Amino acid sequence: MRGASDTMPLTRRRMVSAGGAALALPFLGRGAQARGSGRVVVVGGGFGGATAARFLAAFGHQVTLVERQPTYWTCPFSNTVLAGLNRMEAIAFGYGGVRAAGVTVLQDDAQGIDPERREVRRAGGPAIPYDRLLLSPGIELRYDALPGYDQAAAEVMPHAWIAGAQTRLLRRQLEAMEDGGTVAIAVPDNPFRCPPGPYERASLIAHYLKAEKPSSKILILDAKDAFSKRPLFEEAWAALYPDMIEWVPVSSGGKVVEVDPATMTLRTDFAEHRVAVANVIPPQRAGAIAETAGVADATGWCPVDPETFESALVPGIHVIGDACLAGAMPKSAFAANAQAKVVAGTIDALLRGEAPGPAKLINTCYSLAAPDHAFNVAGVYEAVDGALAQIEGAGGTSPVGAPADIRAREAEYARAWYATITGEVFG
Amino acid sequence: MRILAIALLAGLAQPALSQGAPPGAWSCTGCHGPHSGTTMDLRTRSAEDIDAALAAFRAGTRPATVMDRIARGFTLDESRAIAQWIADHARRE
Amino acid sequence: MVAMVNIPETVTAGTVVEVKILISHPMETGFRTGPDGTLVPRNIIPEFRCLYGGEEVFRAEIFPAVAANPFLSFFLRAEQTAEVELLWTDEAGQEHSEARLLTVQ
Repeated sequence: MRGASDTMPLTRRRMVSAGGAALALPFLGRGAQARGSGRVVVVGGGFGGATAARFLAAFGHQVTLVERQPTYWTCPFSNTVLAGLNRMEAIAFGYGGVRAAGVTVLQDDAQGIDPERREVRRAGGPAIPYDRLLLSPGIELRYDALPGYDQAAAEVMPHAWIAGAQTRLLRRQLEAMEDGGTVAIAVPDNPFRCPPGPYERASLIAHYLKAEKPSSKILILDAKDAFSKRPLFEEAWAALYPDMIEWVPVSSGGKVVEVDPATMTLRTDFAEHRVAVANVIPPQRAGAIAETAGVADATGWCPVDPETFESALVPGIHVIGDACLAGAMPKSAFAANAQAKVVAGTIDALLRGEAPGPAKLINTCYSLAAPDHAFNVAGVYEAVDGALAQIEGAGGTSPVGAPADIRAREAEYARAWYATITGEVFG
Repeated sequence: MRILAIALLAGLAQPALSQGAPPGAWSCTGCHGPHSGTTMDLRTRSAEDIDAALAAFRAGTRPATVMDRIARGFTLDESRAIAQWIADHARRE
Repeated sequence: MVAMVNIPETVTAGTVVEVKILISHPMETGFRTGPDGTLVPRNIIPEFRCLYGGEEVFRAEIFPAVAANPFLSFFLRAEQTAEVELLWTDEAGQEHSEARLLTVQ
């Protein structure tokens, strides 16, 4: 075998026959060794799950992806839809590319896990057996955490924190709002999906309002005293949207403690705000299947081994993406995709009876303050004492005070990143 | 095997690397894929080019918007292995 | 030192009202290193009191484990129209008080 592989590298033709459409995956081409034969079930078809499914299939495993929706709307760039810069179609992806990679995609609801029998129960058919299970279920909104905010309230005060119909609803409300109205954004305490997301959202909504409804205001009511990329956002707000965005941190009474959709009121401990549009981002936890599977702890999130992402609570189940507690790594699409590729390699090694190799992970996250104004935060991570820690001396944000052409170039990079990563995730 | 060959080329002695990828390498493809545009497309770059770029980013001698902060998270050996892996995998037939 | 206070203005006799206060204060523990590399001296608010009609109705001892910008909320029974006074002093000697008239009908 060794001799054969040494003298005959995998050809395109052999790859296609051995690993399905492996060549559709960037960077996997000649190097992938399609020799696995394990059964892997992946639950959740977002940035983590779809990536992992495609790579595991390319590695030669029998992969089933269970995903409720036929279409996935990405949270990254959904704020550009709110600003009217993109249409919903621009952030919509089907699962054709995942199927083409050799993955069996079941549009179904995973309802429970039997870790003893190693089966995933589902609504629409017989249980699916697995050798290894990968959960990438994203987030569940906690409708019990903010008095007044339930699913019905979300139809009046959209969260738009799971992209799709909610994104469309919030966009319509912004379009319907009269000039001079106040748009409130209620932000939860950490941890939550996409830490800089609320502030990018405020920026891009401001970009829309400045052009269309310039007397309007944006009020960010925050349950925190600090936020990701704050100096960069505040610099952009002062330059691009002076006096339009007000940020109220928790130490100034910013934490929303109750909402009333009937009167469009947000209450803090010290004030009531009646607004025209209320974007309420409630506290979150790991997607529901995590709790059902027993991999979520009392925090609602999933503790995992920092190298293999195997659950600390249930062996044989790996959890990636927003749902897991990844130490210093933020809950971002880039992180989920990076984790997915590492875990695909880990699962592949484990199924072949090998020890997984050491891992390092990168996160890079762009935020757009305007179509031609972006900046980033990055980090490099490795496991230290049982948790993913940021490597000292690396990482950090774009510099404050950078010239406009750099910000514009970063906006181009942000768009290039989006095209690249969605290509890798969905094909 | 090919994986072993890459590992040896890179001066690494870890046989069970995740499908041949040295630590951190998989994260690169989130930005540096085939459709990522000019500066991010690494398909035409040699391992030596990529390695030199990473070294310059790490030293702060090459203008950067993010790669300086990422390159500093890797040792010389690690980024050399990544450069080799990218060069081996990025070039398409 | 500033604070936000929320006390109802007018209630009927016998109502239990919630008093809420958010004090802007760093609550330095004495263990934190400043930008120059030296320890920032401890400065917390060790005690907080509430007087209602001149009589103490609530007192809290606060410890370094309490985070910056402490938020306190407690209840008192509104018996008569009187001033509700909130008083605290930090370890740097800064005294502060807030007063609100609570009207009972």
